[in-house]
Amino acid sequence: MHPDSASLQELLAQTARGDHAAFARVYERTHAHLFGLALRMLGREQAAEDVLQEAFVSIWKSAGQYRSRVEGQDIQPMTWLIAIVRNKSLDALRARTRRKETALPDADALDADEDASATGPASPSALDLLSQATQALQIEGCMNTLEGSYRQSLALAYYQGLSHTEVAAQMGAPLGSVKAWIRRGLERLKSCLASKGLAA
Amino acid sequence: MKYSDPQLVEHLASAYVLGTLTGGARRRFERLRADRPDVQLATARWEARLGQLAHSVPALRPSPRVWKAIEARTRAPAAAAPRSGGSWLRPAGWGFGGVAAGVLATVALLFSAPTLFLTADQVAMRAGEKLPQSYVGLLTDTQGNGKLLVSSLRHGRTMTVKVIGPITPPASGRLVLWAVPATGAAFALGTVPASGSAVSQLPGTSEQLLSKVTKLVVTLETTEAPSTPGTAVFSGNCAKLW
Repeated sequence: MHPDSASLQELLAQTARGDHAAFARVYERTHAHLFGLALRMLGREQAAEDVLQEAFVSIWKSAGQYRSRVEGQDIQPMTWLIAIVRNKSLDALRARTRRKETALPDADALDADEDASATGPASPSALDLLSQATQALQIEGCMNTLEGSYRQSLALAYYQGLSHTEVAAQMGAPLGSVKAWIRRGLERLKSCLASKGLAA
Repeated sequence: MKYSDPQLVEHLASAYVLGTLTGGARRRFERLRADRPDVQLATARWEARLGQLAHSVPALRPSPRVWKAIEARTRAPAAAAPRSGGSWLRPAGWGFGGVAAGVLATVALLFSAPTLFLTADQVAMRAGEKLPQSYVGLLTDTQGNGKLLVSSLRHGRTMTVKVIGPITPPASGRLVLWAVPATGAAFALGTVPASGSAVSQLPGTSEQLLSKVTKLVVTLETTEAPSTPGTAVFSGNCAKLW
């Protein structure tokens, strides 16, 4: 096991026993990465900060639920933390969608403006991020045998937390196709990782 | 929908972790996961797969006010008080009274951390008045320091072993948890994690396996499948929580 993750595991175990100093070290070590992830999904700093706060309060309360093994499968602490932050981000995104559906047109327009300003031209696209990640995992060739639209829809769902409907709207593609692309994309990711002996 | 189909479970788990499983279906999946070890495993595997995609997202430092807000919410007495961990577990080793104190400490821990059972018995959780019927064991070292909390729902097929005090990993061999019935031979329940907690599947329900078990011990074993327990490193009573 990687020495860093082993000690993060120990810090989480201490956090579970109520050691606030250990909890502060978990935050120090992981928050920038987790904040980047939340910001990428939510697009707005304030919303990402709120999510990060909620996530860490939840980590403090539930550190004892972190299991280093589930049914013989090793669970890295960072995987567990990422899942918490992504779930909180997804909740915030879906709540935002619900608010927009019931909001007055003025509020809607305001939200749209904020969305536009949040992701500047400098930030990499979701597809870029997927491509960088698969390159780092050395599964880019394997993933690139999928058509671009498959990878694009998977990337939008993963990095921007878009729902099937939102991916379909953004790509101007039929909902049924998007569902099938994402499903195939996930299956391919699984087999590509398995072929490299990663998280099979 | 038939949740017994492994392919369906796999598909739902992937969509859940990705986030495309939404609304009522998402909540239903979370409830299913709480009760089903196979669903927990499928979800954990997808979290491990998709988690690797997160590493290409550039890290960014948020405003320092985020940590201040987290600190304010986690250092509050209400949040910190019931989490004292070791200190109130110490009486567990005091002679005869230790047994009662151990059980009380276990019950207190279960009350203060009812989320331990989130993954197991939602009905009792929702009632909020009564703990679910479970087998619990609090194991201490020879000095009476709390080391492990073992819990399993009475009719469940999984067991959770949670490390509550620091455990020095053995230089060789592994720590094995044994169930010791009042009469009859001890049998191995599984291995002990070095930290955190571990969930494992039992060969039968707890009721079938543990109804006559009075003690739990942890021994250091070097052989692959030891048939009888060696010297106990930790021990404690196996109590019925009902």
